[in-house]
Amino acid sequence: MSGCDVRVAGVRFAYGAREALRGVDLAIAAGEQVALIGPNGAGKTTLTRLLVALRRPTGGTVTVGDWDVAGRRPDEMAGRVGYAFQHADQQLFARSVAEDVAFGPRRLGRAAAPVTEVIGELGLADVAGLHPYDVPAPARKLVALAGVLAMEPRVLVLDEPTAGLDHAQRDRVIAALRRRAAEGVTVLAVSHDLGFVAEAADRVVVMREGRIAEDRTARELLYDREALATLGLRPPATVEIGLALQLAGAPIRSGEVVEALRGTKWKETPQ
Amino acid sequence: MIGYLPGRSPLHRAHPYTTLALAGALLLGAFALTQPREVWLLVAAAAVFSAVGGVLRASARTALLLSLPIWVLLFVLHGLLGADPRTTVGPVALSVPGMARALVLGGRVTAIVLGFLTALATVSPHRLVEAMTAGGVPFGRTFLLASTLTVLPRMRERATQILEAQQCRGLRLGGSPLARLRALGPLALPLVLGALAEVDEQVLALDARGAGSAARRTALDPPADSAAQRALRAALLVLVIAAYAWKFWSMRG
Amino acid sequence: MTALVALEGVTFTYSGAARPALVDVSLEVAAGDVLAVAGETGAGASTLLLVATGFAPRVVGGTLTGTRRIAARRCGVVFARPWTQLTGLCATVRDEIGFGPASQGWPRERVRSAAEHAMARLRVAHLADREPAQLSGGELQRVVVAAALAMEPDVLALDDPAAELDPEAADALYDVLPAVAAAGTAILVATPDRERAARVARRAVALAAGRIVARGAAADVLGETAVAGIARAAGCPPPFPLDVPALLRRVAR
Repeated sequence: MSGCDVRVAGVRFAYGAREALRGVDLAIAAGEQVALIGPNGAGKTTLTRLLVALRRPTGGTVTVGDWDVAGRRPDEMAGRVGYAFQHADQQLFARSVAEDVAFGPRRLGRAAAPVTEVIGELGLADVAGLHPYDVPAPARKLVALAGVLAMEPRVLVLDEPTAGLDHAQRDRVIAALRRRAAEGVTVLAVSHDLGFVAEAADRVVVMREGRIAEDRTARELLYDREALATLGLRPPATVEIGLALQLAGAPIRSGEVVEALRGTKWKETPQ
Repeated sequence: MIGYLPGRSPLHRAHPYTTLALAGALLLGAFALTQPREVWLLVAAAAVFSAVGGVLRASARTALLLSLPIWVLLFVLHGLLGADPRTTVGPVALSVPGMARALVLGGRVTAIVLGFLTALATVSPHRLVEAMTAGGVPFGRTFLLASTLTVLPRMRERATQILEAQQCRGLRLGGSPLARLRALGPLALPLVLGALAEVDEQVLALDARGAGSAARRTALDPPADSAAQRALRAALLVLVIAAYAWKFWSMRG
Repeated sequence: MTALVALEGVTFTYSGAARPALVDVSLEVAAGDVLAVAGETGAGASTLLLVATGFAPRVVGGTLTGTRRIAARRCGVVFARPWTQLTGLCATVRDEIGFGPASQGWPRERVRSAAEHAMARLRVAHLADREPAQLSGGELQRVVVAAALAMEPDVLALDDPAAELDPEAADALYDVLPAVAAAGTAILVATPDRERAARVARRAVALAAGRIVARGAAADVLGETAVAGIARAAGCPPPFPLDVPALLRRVAR
């Protein structure tokens, strides 16, 4: 299953008098993995809401594949775009985790949805029969994500997918996204977790004050200390290592750093 | 618009007990008065009360919306189905005493709702809590009252979030009555369950801040009261008692 | 140094739960300690914090066996979601922070100075007159920690306090903890964020299925950080460096 492209052209949006988006142009090709970063209030979440018709722009156009979002309702957009909200508790309600994950696919009329597979993928097999609220809060976030993945969207939009998760859970989310990337699904993730961005994104778009300030490859941006500093961010650990040791190939993923460190001589005891 | 509307009107600045006493007087007075003319004077008083609070437009609109079903019911029950004599208005024959009764009952409801909404709009929950704390009311009771006052805006915000999340999972709003009924589960359940899940944390957090402490809470910034306001509250009480006394006296006579 | 909290062979089961959340747990916390509690979701870290500070079973119910001695006069607790920890009763941040002390019945002056002191420690004095509901997540969480500190607790438990915060706000929050400990408060912090926990804690315990499976220096117990994982995979001999500076020191040039 391949993804759709996403095009945002000249989009403006205002909450009453306050302009949240001041002319945003963004083109994401099908299958691209994009991270959206920026300070609070930059308009990131607002932009993602436009992609699923939860808000209508006051100017400009938004298209997902051959669909013009302007003519669609959110429940129609759900057929193509899976939106994972930052706070999972606003959607869990079924009697069991498995039933809740199956809700979205059922709404879309997808009888053969991979509910069990997705539950296993996110490490929820042990709790599949439990009521969602009997599961700890971080795991509920995974239940909500499972519900979105089970809908087999062609575009995935994620709002802070790793906030509040422990390391094992984070790794599962990254693995799930890598699997979807290999299948050609388009991914747009809003995140302030640069370690996650390094592992999961090819491209990073920076938003500031309702506009796109930077749009570069993940490799370029994560190695640009100054650009990150203006956002109040530090490079992730992998990049710090790459910068300090001047590793070839500007590695950003752990796997790439490990490769680049092959043949390194190590001191036996710490100084 | 149900809920607190910030402002600087005399009602906002008055001690919360004073504003509540005025609303209470309207409530009790409504039941003491029996003649249409008296009741409508009371409605006018409620409107003045609301205007003094600077919230007349917002409150009046909501009050009319809320009391509309009751007016319709009263009109049918008393106006159409009431006793003779009847008067003809266009195609309909309305009961004269029935209409008088409808006007009294409807007027009462309108006065009460308007008074209640005005009080809700001009008494800040924070100031009420401080007033009650300064008055020595145990924390449990003040918290219960304050939470009740603020629950609607919180629930409304939550409900919007849930609506959006479920739509993104393919839930279609509207449609046949059966479809709407089926949509209730995915919309109402997260509201309740989510609220309950948060309650656990809130109870712990409040307990951790000493909410269950046996000590008497210190009021940090109690609203200013004055002899004049206390006198006004006492006068209102006397007025209400007098109204009831007059009602019983005129009933006997 | 006398322990502020001492647990010996404590087993705790939530009401209606099939399995205990904590099994045979023993630990001690003294003034000025910063203890990190590690464990995957569901391992019992949150429960340990509640048991150590006395909120379980008193507020959350459940049964506790074993010996628990809490010599602390007051315990505070901070959770991951800042907005569920607001009282909802306070118009300003200053009042919100003063809520705890006011609940203890402290005189107004003492409440004010405790609040000012806490605001200074958490660097939120500039937010004193703002409405709590309008703060960002990071600001709000710092306010919540200040509110807990204003009560001058002897023990402060933090359950994944930076979960909802961006990196800058998370760093700002953790950076405050060593100074708080230096002033005498014992701190317990449960978080999957190994890097930040390692920065502030000297000692740590690791939980799995309710049991303590490791205890000792934070550096040893907190488990593999991302950097340690990279070092291991790249052939670095143990002990594995926990952060980037440590890794760089291990590279032979």
